[in-house]
Order: sequence, then C-alpha cells, then structure tokens
Amino acid sequence: MTTVGHVMILASAGSGKTYALTNRFVRLLALGAKPERIVALTFTRKAAGEFFDEILNKLARAASEPGYAAQLAGEIGVPAFGAADFLKLLRAVADAMHRLRLGTFDGFFARVARNFPLELGLAGEFEILQEHAARMERGRVLQRLFGRAGELAGAQREFIEAFKRATFGADEKRLGAQLDRFIDEHQEIFLAAPGRDHWGNPARIWREGWEGLKAAAQLAPAAQALRAALADVALSAGQRARWDAFFADLAGWSPGAPMGAALNYLFGNALKAWPGLAEIMVERKKHALPAVAGDALRRLLQAIIGAEFGRRLEMTRGIYAVLNGYEAVYHDAVRRAGKLTFGDVQRLLAPGEDGARTLSREAAEGNRLFIDFRLDAEIDHWLLDEFQDTSFGQWSVLKNLIDEAVQDAAGARSFFYVGDVKQSVFAWRGGDPRLFREIFNHYNDARPGIIAEEHLLKSWRSGPPVVAMVNAVFRAAPAIGELFPGEASAAWNREWRDHESARPQLGGHAALLHAADEDARFATALKLLHEIEPLERGLTCALLVQKNNTAAELAEYLRREGGVPAVAESDLHVCVDNPLGTALLALVKAAAHPGDTLAHGHLRMTPLGDLLVAEGLAEPERLTRRLLGQIHAEGFERTMDFWLRRLEPRLAADDAFSRARGRQFIAAAGLFDATASRGIAEFIQFMESYTVRDAEAAAVVRVMTIHKAKGLGFDVVILPDLEGTKLDARRKGLAVQRAPDRSVEWVLDLPDRLFAEQDTVLAAHLRAAEADACYENLSLLYVAMTRAKRAMYVITKPPGKSASRNFPKLLAEALGGESATVRVGKQEFAGAFSEGDADWHTRIAPPTPEVRGAPEIGRLDPATVGKSQRLPSRQPSDEKTGLLGGAQLFALTGGGSAAADFGDALHRLFAEVEWASDPAMEKIAALWSGCGVAGEEALACLRAPELAGVWTRPEGATEAEVWRERAFEVVLDGAWVTGVFDRVVVERDGKGIARRATVFDFKTDRIGDEREVAATVLRYAGQLNLYRKVAAVLLELKREAVTCELVLAKMHRRVVVPVTGSR
Amino acid sequence: MAFLAGPWKGGGPLDLSALMVVVPTKQSGRRLREAIAGYAATQGQAAFPPRVLTPDRLIASDATGSEASPLESLLAWAEVFRGLELEEFRSVFPIDPPERNFAWAVRLAQGFARLQGSLAEAGLRLSDVPAKAGADFPEAERWRQIAELERRHTRELASRNLREAQAAKIERAAAPVLPEGIQGIVMLGTPDPLPLALRALAVHAQSVPVEVAVFAPEADAAAFDAWGRPLAETWTTRPFALREFEQRVQLCADPAAQAERVIAVARGYGGSDPGVLGAGVADSEVLPLLEAGLRHAGLAGFNPEGRACHGDGFYQLLAALAGLARDDSFAAVETLARCPDFLEFLPARGNAEVSAAGSLAALDEMRARHLPPDLAAARRHAPGSAALAAVAELRATLVAGVFPENAAAALRLVFGARKFDLARPADALAAESAKAWTEVMRETKEAAAVFGNISNAEWWDVALRLYGELQHSDDKPAGAIELQGWLELLWEDAPHLVVTGLNDGSVPEAVVGDPFLPESLRERLGLKTNAARFTRDAYLLQALAACREQGGRLDLLLGKTSVAGDPLRPSRLLLRCADAELPRRIKFLFSAVESARPNPPWRRAWQLQVPEATLPSRVAVTALRAWLDCPFRFYLSRVLRMEPVDPGKTELDALDFGTLCHAALEAMGNERALRDCTDAAVLREFLLNTLDATAARRFGRELTLPLIVQLESARQRLSRAAEVQAQTRADGWVIEWVEKKFVLDVGGLVVSGKIDRIDRHERTGAIRVLDYKTSDKPAQPWETHLRPARRDETAPEFARFLHRERETVWGDLQLPVYLRAIAAEFPGETECGYFNLPKASTETGIARWDEYTRELAESAWRCAEGVAAAIRAREFWPPNEKVRPEYDDFAALFHHGVAESVAGKERVR
Ligand code: SF4
Repeated sequence: MTTVGHVMILASAGSGKTYALTNRFVRLLALGAKPERIVALTFTRKAAGEFFDEILNKLARAASEPGYAAQLAGEIGVPAFGAADFLKLLRAVADAMHRLRLGTFDGFFARVARNFPLELGLAGEFEILQEHAARMERGRVLQRLFGRAGELAGAQREFIEAFKRATFGADEKRLGAQLDRFIDEHQEIFLAAPGRDHWGNPARIWREGWEGLKAAAQLAPAAQALRAALADVALSAGQRARWDAFFADLAGWSPGAPMGAALNYLFGNALKAWPGLAEIMVERKKHALPAVAGDALRRLLQAIIGAEFGRRLEMTRGIYAVLNGYEAVYHDAVRRAGKLTFGDVQRLLAPGEDGARTLSREAAEGNRLFIDFRLDAEIDHWLLDEFQDTSFGQWSVLKNLIDEAVQDAAGARSFFYVGDVKQSVFAWRGGDPRLFREIFNHYNDARPGIIAEEHLLKSWRSGPPVVAMVNAVFRAAPAIGELFPGEASAAWNREWRDHESARPQLGGHAALLHAADEDARFATALKLLHEIEPLERGLTCALLVQKNNTAAELAEYLRREGGVPAVAESDLHVCVDNPLGTALLALVKAAAHPGDTLAHGHLRMTPLGDLLVAEGLAEPERLTRRLLGQIHAEGFERTMDFWLRRLEPRLAADDAFSRARGRQFIAAAGLFDATASRGIAEFIQFMESYTVRDAEAAAVVRVMTIHKAKGLGFDVVILPDLEGTKLDARRKGLAVQRAPDRSVEWVLDLPDRLFAEQDTVLAAHLRAAEADACYENLSLLYVAMTRAKRAMYVITKPPGKSASRNFPKLLAEALGGESATVRVGKQEFAGAFSEGDADWHTRIAPPTPEVRGAPEIGRLDPATVGKSQRLPSRQPSDEKTGLLGGAQLFALTGGGSAAADFGDALHRLFAEVEWASDPAMEKIAALWSGCGVAGEEALACLRAPELAGVWTRPEGATEAEVWRERAFEVVLDGAWVTGVFDRVVVERDGKGIARRATVFDFKTDRIGDEREVAATVLRYAGQLNLYRKVAAVLLELKREAVTCELVLAKMHRRVVVPVTGSR
Repeated sequence: MAFLAGPWKGGGPLDLSALMVVVPTKQSGRRLREAIAGYAATQGQAAFPPRVLTPDRLIASDATGSEASPLESLLAWAEVFRGLELEEFRSVFPIDPPERNFAWAVRLAQGFARLQGSLAEAGLRLSDVPAKAGADFPEAERWRQIAELERRHTRELASRNLREAQAAKIERAAAPVLPEGIQGIVMLGTPDPLPLALRALAVHAQSVPVEVAVFAPEADAAAFDAWGRPLAETWTTRPFALREFEQRVQLCADPAAQAERVIAVARGYGGSDPGVLGAGVADSEVLPLLEAGLRHAGLAGFNPEGRACHGDGFYQLLAALAGLARDDSFAAVETLARCPDFLEFLPARGNAEVSAAGSLAALDEMRARHLPPDLAAARRHAPGSAALAAVAELRATLVAGVFPENAAAALRLVFGARKFDLARPADALAAESAKAWTEVMRETKEAAAVFGNISNAEWWDVALRLYGELQHSDDKPAGAIELQGWLELLWEDAPHLVVTGLNDGSVPEAVVGDPFLPESLRERLGLKTNAARFTRDAYLLQALAACREQGGRLDLLLGKTSVAGDPLRPSRLLLRCADAELPRRIKFLFSAVESARPNPPWRRAWQLQVPEATLPSRVAVTALRAWLDCPFRFYLSRVLRMEPVDPGKTELDALDFGTLCHAALEAMGNERALRDCTDAAVLREFLLNTLDATAARRFGRELTLPLIVQLESARQRLSRAAEVQAQTRADGWVIEWVEKKFVLDVGGLVVSGKIDRIDRHERTGAIRVLDYKTSDKPAQPWETHLRPARRDETAPEFARFLHRERETVWGDLQLPVYLRAIAAEFPGETECGYFNLPKASTETGIARWDEYTRELAESAWRCAEGVAAAIRAREFWPPNEKVRPEYDDFAALFHHGVAESVAGKERVR
C-alpha cells in the first residue's frame, strides 16, 4: 500500500481539527489500512464519541451522495474513490466497530494496563477510582491516619516532626484541613518526584554549593555591627527613627514570618543599593554608608536571605515527609487493594529509567509489553488530537510505539498529530505544549522532512469581524513583546500566523467595551443581551468568565436582574442546592445522630416534620430505630425513595424542579449504595459533594469558564470577566525545576520574590515560570476570543494608568485605549474598538419553532393479544411457619442447618423403601446400618411397629403403588404449585382406577411432648392439605379419598392431618 | 410444549418423569415447569415434571467429600503464590509485586481460579494450553510456567487429600452417570451449551435417545448444527429483519432515558395486564435505574437474578463485626453501634432500659468531647456505658479463638435472644441470610482445617467476599414486570417485548481485556470467542423478532452514552442489512440525541416554618455578639438551641483549643505563689504541666495524631505566653482576679459571663481587664468590636454611630460589658484588652484597647441595651445575608437568600 506519511498539523481555533482528523482516518482506510489497526486518541469521552460518529456519518454520506463522494475523495487525496468504494469502507468500519480504537488517552491506558496486570506488579483486576470515589478513599485514609493512637506510634512521631517542619512552628490548629490542602496542592508533585532527595535539597538546587546557612549564622553579630556602625553616621531624626524601627522589627522577625513594615522597607532599599551599599535611600533621602556599615549591612542582608532560604528548604523537606507519610498509608490501603486513579494507571505504564515495561510491537525483547498479542491489536497508525494538552507522562507511555511507527522501514505505519499550541490552557494539569515542536524536531533532525508540517488558518467558525479582532490583538507582536519581554512573547510570536475567515457571508460584529467595575461589567453584559435578544433570534450565546463561582454569580445576576434564562455550567450540587435535598439529608442525620438538634430542628421546619408525626416517628428513639433499620435493610436509595414518595404530595403540583432534584437525589443515593457502604457519615459526605453538569438545554444563555468553553463555538460570545493581575504571575505553590527530559531536578517552597530575586538559580527559575504563566494566559485569552461565530463583545475596565500587565492592558495596547462611543443596535456603549456591522443581529429573522414530541413506545391492545401466562407461584413448603431461635441459626455443628442435613439424609434413605416386606429390604437395611446416625434412625423407623403401616401394602387393595420423592407441577386455584411428595401410597381397583391414597410426610425435627405434637400438626396442616389437593387432582379422586399423615420420625408417631378448607 | 407432551391428551397425569430436559438457564427451567403445569391444567390435570437442568448440572459434582470446594481451591492457589520463588517464573511475574501478602495472593488466586474455570468449559486444563495453542504462539514460555503453577496447585490440594475440582469435572464429562429412571434426554432452546456438557451428552446418547430442539422455523433447520448451535456462516451474514425498523429501534441519550421509556410504556399498560409486556435488560447499567424508576412510579418490577448479598443488611452487620475483629478503633465501634441488630442486642443484654437514640447520642458526645482513639480509651471515659460494654463483649468474643468459631459465637451473642418468625417476611429473609452465612462459615471451617497460617482478619475478608457474592432471590410480587437478562429473553413469551441496552459489547456480548486469554488464543483453544457470541446473539435477536411477527411487538432501545458518560455504540446486529441500506442505517443509528430531560429553573420547594419558643431566662455575653452578627441565627442557636453534631470530628475545634489554653492560664492565675513570679521558666513549666494534666484528664494518655499536633501547638503558645506574663508582671501588672463570674442586668435582660482575668498595677493601682484569645491571627479589640458600616448596612440604629467621622457599627460588646460589670467594684480608670496567644509565637502579647473612650463606652452601652431590648421584644429579623456558607452552621437551611428561605417571619419578629 502507498505510504501515508507522518503529519503534524497546527490547527488554529475553528479551523476544523476534527474535520482534518476524520479525513485522515478516512484517508488511511482508503489507502487500505484495516480499521482496527488505527488508534485515535483524544482527551474527553465526548470528543471521542463525536469523532466516531463523524467518521461514520462522513462515510455514510459519501457512500450515498456521489457528489460528496467526489469532494471527499479529493480532500483525502484519493481522487479515484467513488461512492461504491466508500460504501465498502463503511461496511468494513461497521463490521470492525468493536475492534476500533478511538477513545481517550485514559481509556486506552487503562485498557493496556488491564492486559498486563502482573507485568505491572498488580495482583489482578483493578477498578478505576472516579472523582467521588477518590475523595471517599482519601477521607478514609485520613481517618485511619488520625483515628488510631499507639499502633503507628513510631510513624506518628515522625509524621509530627515532619508536620512541624512543614509548617515551621507557625502551627495550624486544624490538621485535617491543612493536610487535605497539602494533598490537593502537592500530591501530583510528590508522585512525580517520590525521591526524598529531590525535596529542599540545596546540593541539587545550587550545583556550585550554597553558603546560606553559614551566612544565616551571622544574623545577630551583623545586626550588632550595623547598629554600632550607624551610631556615628549623620542621620535625620526621621532616618534614625526608621533604622530603630528596622532593628526592632528585626528582633521580632523569624525566617518565614512576614517582615515588619520597617524591616521590609529598608531591606528593599538596601537591595536596591546592592552590591555597592555605599549609600542608601531612607525617608526619601539618600544617606551615605561608611565601609564598615556597608559591609555589616551586606552581611546582614546575606544572613537574612540565608536564614529565609534555610527555612524554606527545611519546610520543603517537611512537606515531603508529610506527603510521604500519607502516601504510605494510601498506597497500602487503596492502590494495593486494586483501586487506581487514571493518574496511577499512567504512572504504572511509564517506562521508567531502566526502560522496563516499554510498550512495544516487537515480541522479542524481554522486559517489554508486547501489545499485539495481548490486545489483539496490531497498531499501525496513530492519530493524536489536542496534542498541546498532552502531558509528558502520556507521551512517554506512547513514545516507543510511535517511534516504531515513524521508524518503520516499509513506511506502512504512520503518525499524525494535531493541535494548537495557542490553546494550551491546561499546562496546570500537565499539558506540555513544548512537546509539539520537540517531537517534530526530534524526528526531522534525524530524517529531514519525515514529518510534514501543515497549518490550518482558515476559521470555519468565526466571521470576518471576530477574526479581525483576534488578529488585531495577537498580531500585535510589538505590544506583546514589550509587555512580556523574553521567551514568553517570543515563543508566542514565533508560532503566530494571521487567521482568516472561511465564512465571509457570516458577517457579524466584534467590539471592545469599557465598564468601570464588576457591577458595571455585568450590567453592560445584560444590556447587550437585551439588545441582541439572541435566544429570540435562535442564536446560541455564551458568557465566558475565569472562575466557576463568577459563572454562578453572573448567571444568578442575569436571571435576577434581567429575567434572562441563564445557566451556569459549573457543576451543580444537586443534592444540597435545594430545600428538598437538604431536608432529606437532615432526616438521615437526625436518625443517625439523635443528638443533632440542628438536624431535628431543621426537620421540624419542613413538611417532613408533619410527616414524621403522622408516621408516629416524632420521638427520636422511634425515628432512629425505624430509619436505621430501613437503611440497613434496603440501602439508601430505596429508603430515600420511600420518604420522597411520601413527600411528593406536599410539593406544589407544578413544581417540576424539586421533583427533578428528587430524582437526581435518588439516583445519587443509588450510586452510593453501589459502593456497598452503609456509612451514614460517608453517605452525607458523598451526597454533599455529588455534582452533575447541567444538561445542555437548548434556548438558554450559557455561562461558563473559558476552560470549559474550549472546543465549543457560539453565535454570540460576551467576555465580561477578563480583569485580573499580571498575566505573567507564576502559579503559586511549590517550585518544581525540571530537566529538559522533564524529570524533576528539585522541589522548593519558593521564598518571596524579594528574596528569590537575589539568587541567580531561583531568579532563573522564576523567570521561566513566569514565561510559562504568561504563555498560558495568552492562550487563555486566545481561546476566549475564538469561541464566537458572529459576534463577540469584550468588556473590560478602561486601562487608565494602572500599569499592571493584565488582559485589559494588553487589549488596550493592541486595540487602543481611548474611550469612544460604540453602538450595538439601538444601544450605545463606551468602548475602544468596533469592527463589522453594529446592526448585524437585526438582520437575523427569528426561527420558526419546530415541534418535536418526545418519542414514545407504542402499545399493543391487551384485549387482542394472547398474554403469556404468569401465575403467582406457591410451594407447599411456603406454607410452613414457625419460630427459629437466633442462637440455633448460627450453629456450626448440630441444630440449625445441621438438623436440615440430617433430615435430608433421612428422607433420602426412606425414599429407597418401596415395601418393607420385599426381599431387597434386607440388603438395604444392611447398608443403612453402615451409614451413621441417619442410618440408625431410618432403620429404627423401618422396624418400629407404630410405623409399620407406612411401609406395608394396605390390605384389601388389589393394586397398590408407591410414589417416592415424587415431584409434581400443578395449577391450583389460579396458582402454580410446585412440590415433592415424600411418600404416597395409591390403592387402585382391578381396572387400575385409583380408589384412595395416603400421603405420608416425614418430619425429622425433635419433638418432645404432646403439646408440641399438636403444634406441629397445626404448623404443617396447610402444607399437607395442599398435598391432599394435588394428589386428588393427579389421581382424579375426591379430596376425602386422600388421607394425609405426618410421620414423626423421632417419636415413631403417625398423625392424621384433618381435612381443612383450602388453607 | 406439545413437542414434549407428545401424544398425551389428558386422562391421568402428564407424566414426563422419565425425561431429562436440558435448558440454558435456571430461569428458563422455571419457565418450562410453569408451562408444563399450565399445559396439564388445560386438561384439568397435573404433571409429573421431567428432570429439568442446565448444561453445567450435567457435569456437576456429586458432592463427594474428596473434591476441593471453590474456597479450598482458592486457598490452595494462594498457598502456591505465597511460597513462590518468583525468579523461576519470570515469564509470569516479570517484576516483583510491591508486597507479597495474603491479600495479594488471594487476588492472584481469584484470577487463576477464573482462568481454570474458563478453560475447563472446553475441557482444558492450564497444562493443555501450550500443546493446544501450537508452538508458534507468542507466549509459549509464559504458559509453560503457568502449567507448572497448576501442577503445584494440584499438589497443594493432593497433600490435603483433595481433588482438583475442574479436573474432576472434566473426568466426569467423560463418564457421566445417568440418574436412574431416565429414558430420554431433550436439549431445549439452548443456543450455546457448555462444550464440556456436550461431551457428557454425547456419552449419554449411547445409552438413551438424545433429542435437540431449537426455537426456529422448520425451514431454518439447516442453520444449526447437530447440537442446536446457530451456524456462523448463516447467522453472521443474514440481514436482521424487523418491520418498521426506525419506529421499533430507538436511540436514547443514556441509561436513564432508556429506563424512562420502558417505564412510560409499562405505565401505559397500567400494570393491569401482566404478561403482555416483558422487559429485557442487556446493559446492566439500565437495570438499577429501571428498578428504581418502576418502584418510584408505583409499578412492580422483578429481577429474577436476585440481589447480591453484599447489598443486604446482614452483610453490613458482618462487615461491622469484621471491622471490630480487625481493630477496636472507636470508628469501628461507631459503625457497629449503628447496626440495628446491635441496637436490638442492647436491651437483650439485660439492660432493658437502654435506648438506641440515647446510646448513639452518647457516642457522638463521647467523640466530640474526648476523641477517643479506641474502645478501651472510650470505656475509660464512660465505664458505665451499656453500649460500650456490649461492644467490648463482642470484641472479646471475636478475638478469642479462631475463625469461624469466634464469629459464630459473636453472632449467637447478638441474636441469642431473638426469635425469627418465619411467617414474617423480614424475619424469613433474615433467617435466610443467616443460613447462607452459616453455610459460608462451615465451608471456611472445613477449609481452615486443612489450610493453616491465615489470620482471623484474613479469614473474615475471604468469608465476607464469599458471602457477598451469593445471590438472594426475593419472590416475585404479583403482576410484576420481569426484568430479564439478554440470554433469558429467548424464553420470554410476552407478546410485547422491550429490550434495553442494544449497544455493542452488551449485544453482541463481548469480552475484552483478559490478560491470559486474548481472542486470538481463545480461537486456537476452541474456547468461546466474541465471534461465537456474535453468532449466538444474531440468532437470538432474530428469534425474538420472528416470534413476534404476528400480533406481537419488539422494541429495541440503545443508549448514546453510559452513566459515566462514555460514548456507546449501537449493536452491530442492527447494522446487519443489505449494503444499499447501510448508509441510511448508519445515519439513523449514529444521529445525535440531545438529552430529553429539560432542566426546569430553580424553584423553592417550601419555606421553613420557624416554630415559636420561649426566650432563655439569661444569656451569655457572647449572645450579644451573636445577635449583632445575625439576629435570626441567634434565634436558631440561642432560642431554639439548634446545634450540629460533627460525626467526622477527629481533632480539637477552635473552642476546645481555647478552653484547653484557658484552663492552664486560669490555673496559673489562681496560683497565688505565681502571681508575683517573673521567671518565665517557672511559669512555663507550670502552664505546660497544667496543660498536660488537663489534656490527660480529658483525652486520656493515648492521643490521636491530630491531638498530639494540636497540643504541641498549645504548648508553644503557652510557652511564649509564659514569657509575656513574666514581662507584664515585671512591668508591674499583678493578676487580681481570674475567671471572675458576673451577672449584669442589661435593660431588663440578664447577661452573665466570666472575665478571663483582671490585673491591677502595683504602683498606679490601675485596673486592666484582659481576655485570652487563641485565634490564629492576633486579635485587636477595636477590630473585633467595631466595623465600618457596609454599603447596604442592615444593622439597627442603636448599633451604629459616628466614630472619627466614619459611620461605624458595633460587632461585639464583650469588653465594654466586662468593664460595665466591674464598674461598681473597681471605680476609676480601667483599661481593657486582649492577651493574644496566636499562631505566630512572635505575635504573642497583650493588645490594649487604648482609645477606649468614654464616648465609646456610652455608645457601646446604648448598643447593649438596644440588643437586650430587641431580644426581649423578640426582634430576630432581618437575617445577615452575608455569612459565607462554609462558616455558617445553618447553611443547609438556606437557599438563594436566608430571608427568602423562611416563612412566618412575624413569629420571630
Ligand atoms: S501502586 Fe499499589 S497497586 Fe500499583 S503497583 Fe504500586 S503497590 Fe501495586
């Protein structure tokens, strides 16, 4: 087959990434690739699903529309292809559907791991922990860490020491909260660098050695020297005062503690005078520093810095130890129990230094995971989507497989990756945009041109005005370069290419509007919505913000102030965001924690209060017993459903919302039950943290974060929340220095900028980190500005003189800062930039609403169809009643079920007897005496004169027949009865017509006195009369002709059971 | 049916007892017997049924003792792995596992047991694989080693006089025993019988006639092999014919949507016509939703599969006991205590008066106050507690002796006094569970006899798993709709059948990700492959449609995504059509579906009805602050006395922490000798000793981790406080009073309080009122007492005043009230302030309220009287809307605004 070649595509926003990807897929098929030999990976399940649908629909269309077939054939570079050929491909794909490998990275990795458990050190199958479950596990681990004393005393001591170092005396009262935060913030880093020696290790940070601690020791002497030296320096009163304050602060200062104002002030000024320190600015006047003073000050500064660094190193090691303590328990309790997160799976698959566990298609090599056989997969072709979000970890798992593909001599395999470095907004969770180029260079350096580079710059999403505004902002290389000097802007400008709109006919409008503060920005947004009326015009509309809670506030504001149907697409806490849910939870709390007067009080204020009274559960005691019992027996879902059903009549008839929430609540409870936990506290916690994403309902204004909007497009986009601080502010948290191969070199709790700046190594790290932050923020703005199809309105505060290098600043630099009047339809706004048609929306006719009824399943007319017969079923043994003692239930020997065994044995033996008289009996008897207690008993019964009648042919009967252990099926009074006779003796006349019958039922339970006999008879009356009826039917006899006898084996008693009416 | 009954025309019972009928599943067997009863009934007769069984029963064990039970087999595997030198098995275990403990071994064992099982289906042992698979297959060495493992497994069993079950089964298949009296065998509607069972049948065929019957039109006879298995050639290529395809097949958003449609149609039938509608559930995710949905709609659904025992209450009790057996942590105690059976056990233990609610409340109280690490510690705090005594007794029983005896003993304790009345469904169910568990215990007991060195905890784990996997089958409610698995549907004769979950992977069923038996190997070994499943399901689907051609109806539902949101694909069976039709099918089956359920706008289900309550006779100083914070929350907390319980409490809260430090400081103040002490060291030692003593009294000697850390913190704060105290004394301030109680009439409201400490200056004689503060940040009196008015200030007039030209509001009145309270006793100048013991030890010290002027004092008093008056006038409105939920105990009561959430404001006004 012709070689398909390797391709890297840099696809700008809206330029049809998915389109390119699906075309690639089709092209591969057209060139003869087997569908199951292609792997296409992306990030979200949703994307994967859509991707698959699009391929099939594309093929289906090409198979049925020659015109389109020709077009597609052209696009994929196989012009010869026609509808018929595409139909073949379609059939091929359809048949291979189950073997296709289109999905998420996570999914693919999990699948691989499942096939190599032992190779990865797992003990077998594992389950993937989703968000909720992972939270729960963490909770348990913390409980375990906190709950126990003594037992892990050793570890405990260590842990506490660590904790003290981590928080350095500046203790924290709420350990739980603190640790939780620790884990959130640092766990990923820990797992990336589990080695102790990476953490706060000066040797790793400062290769040329570090004098900090020595310097720190100088603190006191240096301070003294300086004080002395300053004594005879001419200072103004003010300056003198400053210095005194400085020394006062210094005395109180300990490393890590915030510096006092005076300390901070002079420290800063001194650094400005660094390293000369011949004079220093104090109180807006320089004063000279004699050499002694200068020198003392120098040593003092170094001491302070040294002390600060020393403490940070210490803390970092502390943090490590704390995490290490937690991880040890977590690892043991969770991962080893076969509960892994996707992250764990990926780490397991990471090849590791020794290159062990490398995925490969070459069977030969020992320590490798040969996937062809285990996965039934011979993967030739790789398609990777959204590559800018791929983490180095993910890449390193796939690297070798893709190497093999790229280096395939025959050129029969291929690698294709597509993405947009300008949209790398997921760096904070590992996305590694640099890979994009690195990989390209890596291969192309070795074999120039091996991977082709393509750019997609036509936007199929946005109209000209939007594109124009985007270009205007991001083309502004000088502005960007000047605002963010260095690598950040350089990298950005390097990759930038002007966009163009592929849909000029779309028209539209793009503008930058000004508003003073948040309220004004929200108001402006609302004003725009009222003017444009997107929903009335059948346009999709979104407002993009930076934070989830802003989204919630804004949506709330639009609903409240403007009556706009706005939905915040943050995750909704459906179980607690409404009175119904919290009341139901209060019910559980109140029951499980009778002392919870809050929960009890809460209940009383809700309809549940009356309900409980009505159910006679007002008393805590009753409530506790009843509810715990219910939960215990039926689980939370059924229990909650039970109460919800009782509550429903008390909801307003038209209250669809609360009913919907009720359903969601029950569903959530069901999910919890599935975890097989009945822990009340865990349940509460689960329900409180349980969230669902609001279903994307049509005809609403959607409010969401820019991150969530990635990959989506809307007719109208409003950006009212671009304020914020410096774009190049480094993410807070531990500083992690990585080598070019992304391995962690060192981790440090970075000191404040003021300090870090003073150190070349840390300063360098700082700059790099800031460059990354800046790049990520530019990407964020780019994503935000490329979501709009027709119209985009950016609302920021006028830059004014605020120097902070934030979005508004950038926009002002690029689009102009002068406030002018910007018109949108009939409304006027203050703004700085406007492109396109201010009346665009007025030209859009409202759509004709099409009516679609929810699909329903038709019904058959019960009258006309033959029903399948379904009878309630009964078994004579059901008729049994009686009391079982708790103790005897759990007897391991004798009694309880042991008795049952004995009974069965006895029944088996009795079944061997036809007539005691017949010769065979001798042999049987002999055998019996061999088989233990049951045998003895059986023999005794057989010999017992009282029971002779059971075993002997009734005299007078010409013919008698015995049924032994005979099963029957019968329909009696509309019920289907199934059962087994122990022994029935049937007497027939000459013509073989049954005349009478006796049903014997053997009972082997211990029965003492007459009273118990009577009781027993009573107990089994129902059962035996049922036998009587059955026998009557089978033999076509009157019931009176059938005798029923209980045979009490132990007592050697026969008791006739009187005929009773049907039970 | 007629086929079975043959010539029988009534007149005497329908006697099929000489016949053996093989059916695919238990459920279908049940169906058959029901049909037989019905058929006989048509002649007013009854029947002696044939011997009905499933293929696997054909070769099932005859329960002779020598054969290893599944448990024994499992433990034998575990033994093998525990004693393994992995070096010799590098092709199976390329790397060493992190830890080789029992749990690890058992999880491996399950894998290998399963592997043995699936090979045995085709009559193969692990050791047969290399030969069977052929020399050229990639993992030959791995399998040679696996074979060796199997040999060791067999040896482990043999050394205990046990026979390996799978092997025995295979032998039985070669020489099956025919139950006496059987004169003929029929295999009925069983499209994929166990290959091994077929071996047995083949043998039987030599002695009695064996017939095979399939559900299909006569014409299709050629489409099946001799054993009635659909032939791949025919069924994989034959188009699936269903009239009105696009009406009958419905694409739904997700499992919930599928469930809803089924429920809708069931509602349509009104449940009045059982037997018209049958429901099939091919995707297990739909089942729970369907069950819940039907239940909620008041319709009965019935799942013949039954429920796994780990869902039932008894399992929870066992788990709780297992927990207690593992360790006696207080958490384990709490868990057990919330098991109803335990609560019933309490009175049974002869303390008839103990109440469930009382005991549980007591436990919560215990945790809140003492944070006990374990049972022992808890008992030291409450020696009298009946509940704890009961737990202790159980714990003792559980750790005495060996499993399962000790477990059984514990259960006999718990249930000893209970009687189970089998007539009561609940009791009957309980008894059933108990029996099942006792069976498990017996099994483990037998196993324990031959397998040593397994700890109690490990036994518990094993036994619990065994029990958890058992199935309860509850009886079918009258008129219930049966929710049947895909493989049962062939036997479902309801005229209208709705099948959910027609997604690839469910139908046709596909098994993926087997680390030992990938599809390619399965083929080589002749095991059941996904291809074979495809054939089977193609036939089943066609059969379901075919038998409803006349007068019946088959609806097929499929989902777009799973519950978790993973995309699902339509069943390939639905794509079995003429190529010409394919594009249309694709477009239809791969179209987008927007979730049907619209989300209605937020709406309030109800407003809270706030009850009336009588005012407390006296309030604490803090109450004033509470009222100023939020009058309504004041009403809830101080008048209605609503207080939460924190069941997850594992450490001191701010209050506890403060109390601890206070206790030490108070003691110091009371120590006359120390009042003049200026030696920080002495003070420190005293403070720390007192702290330790107090802590020991309250928490015992064994402390939990957070406690240790927190005490550490308290220690640091107190050490620093000692220095500060020494300094203040040196400056001339002498402690005069500590914890001075007072009662003050504020505008008719009795306010009581305790003043942490009053100092007098030895020279100036000035008086100073101090309050200890242990908040993390040092508190400044003026900051805590005063705040600038908000833009939309709701505070009442009397709380506001102009302070340095700025509209200011009283947030707290503590110190002013203190001063007022002692004014009589100490006339003349009095200062006030805080003694801060904050997080950062450098910030420890006294924060004096220097500018506490006479004007402030008057304004404060005016405010206090205002508050008092308001309280007495039952003014508890308006609420403070600004409290952040995470700091609001009452957050759960309020949604979209506090005021909005409450009805009947007049009552709290
Ligand atoms: S993470 Fe846990 S489960 Fe995974 S390999 Fe390590 S020990 Fe085994």
